[in-house]
Amino acid sequence: MGRRELIAGPNFSGRSAAMLALLRDGQFARECFYVGPYAEAALSGLSSIIADEIEIYRAKPASVGRAIFAPNDFELLGRREPQTLSGGEQVLLALHCFSLSSYGAVAIDTALEQLDPANRDAALGYLDPRKKLVATVALIDNRLPPPLLGWDCLELTPGTKDFDCDPGGVVSDLSQWKAPALAMRGLAFTYPRGRQIFHDVSLTLESGTAYRLAGPNGAGKTTLLKLLVGVLAPSDGEVTLGGARYRPWRDGNRAIALATQNPDHQWCGATLAEDLARRRAAFARETHPEFLAEQRIARLARSLGVHSLDAHLYELPLAARKRLSWLWPLCGALPWVMLDEPSIGQDLSTRLRLAAAIARLTALGYGVLFVTHDDDFAGRIPHRVLAIGERTIRATS
Amino acid sequence: MFTTPRLIVIALGAALNFSIGTIVYLVKLPIYLDSIGTILTALLLAPNRKAAFFCAWAAGWMSLAVSGLVNPFLPWFAATDVAIALVTALVTLRAADIFRARPLRAVPFAASVLVCGAVTGVVAAIVSAPVVVYLFGGVTGSGSAFIVAFFLKTGQQLMSAALLSGLTADPIDKILQVLFAALLYRATPGDLLVMLRKA
Amino acid sequence: MTPNGAIAVAVMMIALLLSGPGPGGVAILLVLGLAFAVIEVRSASLIALRRAATVVLPLAAFMVLVWVGIVGRAPSEIAADMPGTRAAALLHVALICGRLFFIVAVIQLVVLRFAHLTPLQFIRALSLPAGAKRLLVLTLSLIETLRHAIDRAHVALIAAGTLTRRFSLRNVIHSWRLVQAVWLSAVTIALGRMRDKWPVENTLDLLDRALENSNRRLFAGNDRIWLPITMGAAAVILLADLFPGAS
Repeated sequence: MGRRELIAGPNFSGRSAAMLALLRDGQFARECFYVGPYAEAALSGLSSIIADEIEIYRAKPASVGRAIFAPNDFELLGRREPQTLSGGEQVLLALHCFSLSSYGAVAIDTALEQLDPANRDAALGYLDPRKKLVATVALIDNRLPPPLLGWDCLELTPGTKDFDCDPGGVVSDLSQWKAPALAMRGLAFTYPRGRQIFHDVSLTLESGTAYRLAGPNGAGKTTLLKLLVGVLAPSDGEVTLGGARYRPWRDGNRAIALATQNPDHQWCGATLAEDLARRRAAFARETHPEFLAEQRIARLARSLGVHSLDAHLYELPLAARKRLSWLWPLCGALPWVMLDEPSIGQDLSTRLRLAAAIARLTALGYGVLFVTHDDDFAGRIPHRVLAIGERTIRATS
Repeated sequence: MFTTPRLIVIALGAALNFSIGTIVYLVKLPIYLDSIGTILTALLLAPNRKAAFFCAWAAGWMSLAVSGLVNPFLPWFAATDVAIALVTALVTLRAADIFRARPLRAVPFAASVLVCGAVTGVVAAIVSAPVVVYLFGGVTGSGSAFIVAFFLKTGQQLMSAALLSGLTADPIDKILQVLFAALLYRATPGDLLVMLRKA
Repeated sequence: MTPNGAIAVAVMMIALLLSGPGPGGVAILLVLGLAFAVIEVRSASLIALRRAATVVLPLAAFMVLVWVGIVGRAPSEIAADMPGTRAAALLHVALICGRLFFIVAVIQLVVLRFAHLTPLQFIRALSLPAGAKRLLVLTLSLIETLRHAIDRAHVALIAAGTLTRRFSLRNVIHSWRLVQAVWLSAVTIALGRMRDKWPVENTLDLLDRALENSNRRLFAGNDRIWLPITMGAAAVILLADLFPGAS
């Protein structure tokens, strides 16, 4: 049996640093394959198509008798750009490349959290010491509490209180607000190249309810989001907000506060102050000024672990940036809220408190849409499932 | 000279040059910004002028090489890219500290952008004029063609008309590009600048 | 044919065209280009011609507007201080655009000739120093990273009310935020790779090995036919220009 090291502890206990220190110590492994947090950190950054990513890592000559990890047929996708894959698929591609390579060891820093349950089980099965498919593994994963059979555990304690976080503090001063219902009538959308995503979708999303968007990749989750914030215009049908016609593709987004999966894609400035000043100006007509007043924002940021509005966003640790990305949707300025994989990279305590904050927001009457692969996290928020697929959307309990 | 961080920054600058065209199209802007990555690459290497020049040159030529596949008119301005890299290393780099100063000092910042952009624009216009004349017959398909036509109708020869047109349009375009590059330089995390300093 | 050979042939043809050959020289180049298209690229040549037309026709229309519509005479007539004609201006536009069309078509023919290769295979086949190959690979990969970051940031900034879907003054003022978000996310990704993944894996060594061209020769295969033919054509064209009476 090879070596298995699980590095556990809350956020900011130094797990990533401990993992890197372990990898630099020649005794763990001579050379190690590395899968970092977020999709972009899983791949090499040296390829522009999938076939090249595989080619770079493929052992020459090929390793005999080595188990290949291939939940998807990546050879078939060879000409596609890696970034057109979903985050989870990019992690699977990284593991596939590892299985083809000559590396004896792999280190994974929270990347498995992006996988849907089936693929996560497949990946964990591949890494299982009892199966002896991989020699040496170092793993950080917020959803795998120690002890783990066959794994050594390095348990770290919080080193600093600097980033202590309480998502509940962000929603604590909000009052009831019945968000207007978001309704779609006969909605249809086809991409210019001919791929029809939605056909005659009629659905009403009620306020005070959380909806979990579910569906396979390519089904239309991102397309729905782009339609609702006005990046895309439907080919047919209409959307109403509180009964009135709502055309964000013409008039701009008036209703939805979005937190993206990778927080770095949503910033409107280099500091939090710049970012929120921009949003304050953009939504001056839709929101009450006290939602985004400087004092309140400073307090909310402190609740999320950031003590200076002038801190350079990109110089904050990744987990802190992820938490800050919740500020805009949770501050309550807009009636509808959309969170894309909000709990990635967060420890158990933070995930529980985030789920509670989202549940409270819903209970206050806000409309909530969220995407997550973490069934446990989703289970803590009373919600309905919006099943997206086969060119339609169905709401189920 | 070309450490891994510097190679990354060159590639980033080249990719930014290439990609700005996509952004300009998405936000439907009526301007054409093709050297922001070149100027930014040089700024990131401040105050090392030699490294700034060579890395900016590499970024410019790398973006031309890649762009040549989609925009065949760009590679001919290879000499212009070298000129921009040189001007940035010798002139714009002097304002690097002003660009990164916190808090922002508006007047020195604006003045530096205007002066550096204007100088870059003038040099770019002079170096580009022969290419515009010999390859494109004086017209590259941008709005400056009307300026060329105006000068021709007033009796100027083609070369001088192209040059005058360039001297009218280029400084404005380059001032905008220096402004973008300065703002991006200002926002770039300090960690990267530290990595770039190690030769 | 190797990419080195194809690029060398293309560069020679373009250089010859830019040297301003006479009608005979142009005819030779056209025949050479056509032969290359038919023999090496085959049916995909039509794609090359279509792409060249897509690029050059809008420019041609614009040039007609400026040269024929506004200026009304050709540069040679301006230089000779003659009143000039619109017909001469049209001829000038036709020659310039014809030349540009040829250049674009030749470049696209080379691209299409090797369309079956992946970018890594193509770069491996080039005879360039290792550092240049690394840089080319990095640039292509970062272009993809930026392209996707642009798309995601564009969605987020529209959602944040900072940008609009169509042209607007708001976009003019705030487009730099999109550029900034994209730049900073790319820098953050690159920094992460340089700090964590690459040192741990020694990924760049893997890349260098993947880019090593085991075939040490610069040219091979059909290069040995096309290169002499192109050089021969060059000799004929250049001599004809030097000694106009001799051909």
